[in-house]
Amino acid sequence: MSGCRLAITGISSFWGTELARRLERDPAVDYIAGIDSRPPTAELERTEFIEADIRSPMLARLLPTTGVDTVVHCGILWYPERERSSSALHEINVVGTLQLLAACERIDTVRQVIVRGSAAIYGCEGPSPYFFTEELARRAPLRTRFQRDISELEQYFENFARRRPDLVCCMLRYQPEIGAGLDSPLVRYLTLPVVPVQLGFDPRLQLLHADDATGALAAAVRTPVRGAVNVAPNGSISLSRILRLCGRPAVPVPPPLFGPAIEQLNRRWLGAGGLLGDGIRFLRYGRGVDNRRLREEIGFEPRYDADAAVRDLAAKSRRTRLGPDLHPGTLAARLTGIDG
Amino acid sequence: MTGEAREQTLRAEALADFLRELRRGVEAGLDPLAATQAATESLPTRLRNSVEAIVMRLRGEYHEDEWGFDEQFAEAVLPLFEFLYDFWWRVEARGVRNVPAHGRALLVANHAGSLFPFDATMMTMAIMREHPLPRWPRFMVLDWAFVLPFISSFIRRCGGVPASAHNATRLLAENELVMAFPEGVKGTAKPFSERYRLQRFGRGGFVEIALRSGAPIVPVAVVGSEEIYPKLAESATLARAVGAPFVPITPTFPWLGPLGLVPLPSRWRIEFCEPIDISEHPPAAADDRRVVFDLSEHVRETIQEKVYENLVGRGSTFL
Repeated sequence: MSGCRLAITGISSFWGTELARRLERDPAVDYIAGIDSRPPTAELERTEFIEADIRSPMLARLLPTTGVDTVVHCGILWYPERERSSSALHEINVVGTLQLLAACERIDTVRQVIVRGSAAIYGCEGPSPYFFTEELARRAPLRTRFQRDISELEQYFENFARRRPDLVCCMLRYQPEIGAGLDSPLVRYLTLPVVPVQLGFDPRLQLLHADDATGALAAAVRTPVRGAVNVAPNGSISLSRILRLCGRPAVPVPPPLFGPAIEQLNRRWLGAGGLLGDGIRFLRYGRGVDNRRLREEIGFEPRYDADAAVRDLAAKSRRTRLGPDLHPGTLAARLTGIDG
Repeated sequence: MTGEAREQTLRAEALADFLRELRRGVEAGLDPLAATQAATESLPTRLRNSVEAIVMRLRGEYHEDEWGFDEQFAEAVLPLFEFLYDFWWRVEARGVRNVPAHGRALLVANHAGSLFPFDATMMTMAIMREHPLPRWPRFMVLDWAFVLPFISSFIRRCGGVPASAHNATRLLAENELVMAFPEGVKGTAKPFSERYRLQRFGRGGFVEIALRSGAPIVPVAVVGSEEIYPKLAESATLARAVGAPFVPITPTFPWLGPLGLVPLPSRWRIEFCEPIDISEHPPAAADDRRVVFDLSEHVRETIQEKVYENLVGRGSTFL
């Protein structure tokens, strides 16, 4: 892939910036255009920033001028942020993807389109298969708004791929990512001093290490593969073991109170946005996917398995531990208010 | 001083040492788990080992495979099932050597025990206790169990997975021993008057799975499981209320409340039959309905025959 010209949407998101950083170091990449409605917060060396809202038809006029052959869509949002409410999420995810695909139709040079999607399309059900393969999407009822959005945009993408068989269209279905440097609701949740869990449930999870998340995306750019590909670590790990490895005490909460409890905790204590609606089911039933297509066809071997990804997070977030100080001297001092 | 009194003093001293060490550790700024670990030095070996095992567990330092099976946990709950196996149901297992010691195999058994089917657990016990090379089997469990709190994670840690062709195929590909109950809910939900009459074996899906993965099928006949919760009737209203496939009414449930969950102490017999070699059929035969139905019927007949044989051989139901 010499002389590769790339366009990355959602460049100012964490994943867009990380991908651009990694590909900037690749001599085979000639040119990178970064598209977003706000400039990236981190310094990028040779990425040309194009300010455009992916929901607007402007994109269809701007994109062809870049002459790119690869389009990577990193603009899909998993959870509401400060300036992006949950209703804007649908707009950005579904309408944004639709506009991007329409723009891709007008570029003659484009050869491959990669979308950084989500494994949420499989849903989170108690009795579902332990390792979803790619063809098992949409078997479960679409229960949450995010799940419906993902399903809808995948449908548009499949139609696009069918109409343009000359293009290599790849949908990457990501399991949730974790990493010490990552600021996401899930990481914030796992590093709470005391973590509420749903009483009686212990989900099986696959959490992808942030390095592998970027690595898999870069590998998909280098090795074009058609169709959907699951991106997940090998193995799986239960939430109870995750919390034990992280040294965080779990507080079981009756399941109906879990959502409100998380909402309150996030707003009052951490000043963070709520977990998305998916999170509640995810933290009750969990989800596992099969990553054989990623390893065998794209040829990307995740460096961290489910266990190692959590251990890495645990090792790097240990210092923020707020466990009870059991030293009798300091305890007495704290209770009496006298500094010894 | 008698030997017993002496031993007690020693134990008390060890405990005092342990607590002293624990305090020292905490005062030195170790976290509670690390302090406990350091203090175990002063305990007698056996106690030290168990305290250390608990500390490792609380730290998350234990193995869990990708299916969520936790061998340590399964071993910890084993005594409970040993009690049921030895004293409550007095299980007599035969032909355990027919279970392959290595490689993939599909154990297929009749299914009964309306409220909580214990047949998979007792088959596991038979393999773990009586097989010369014991191994943990994985068992297919009714989907519905996996939406339940507590029960779902308990089953998963013991090696249960939701019954689905995907799970079974993948487990067999990993050379595991898989237990399946093709009767499914039809087997557990049948009334007491129809006990030991095998129901339809689904659509023969288990044969397809075995053919595709090239796993031998080991038919297993379980006798005694029908009498643990005799199903006299069922309550459609209750079933709708909790979303269960069915809710049985037994002589004790729901009349006695939680006491009604105590199974009756019937006498059990489990017979593992000779493996059925299906290697003569190519994997593509899984698409041939005739082959699939023939094999499925053959397995069903084998189990039915053995069930009747063991029913006669068992003699009295409860004594």
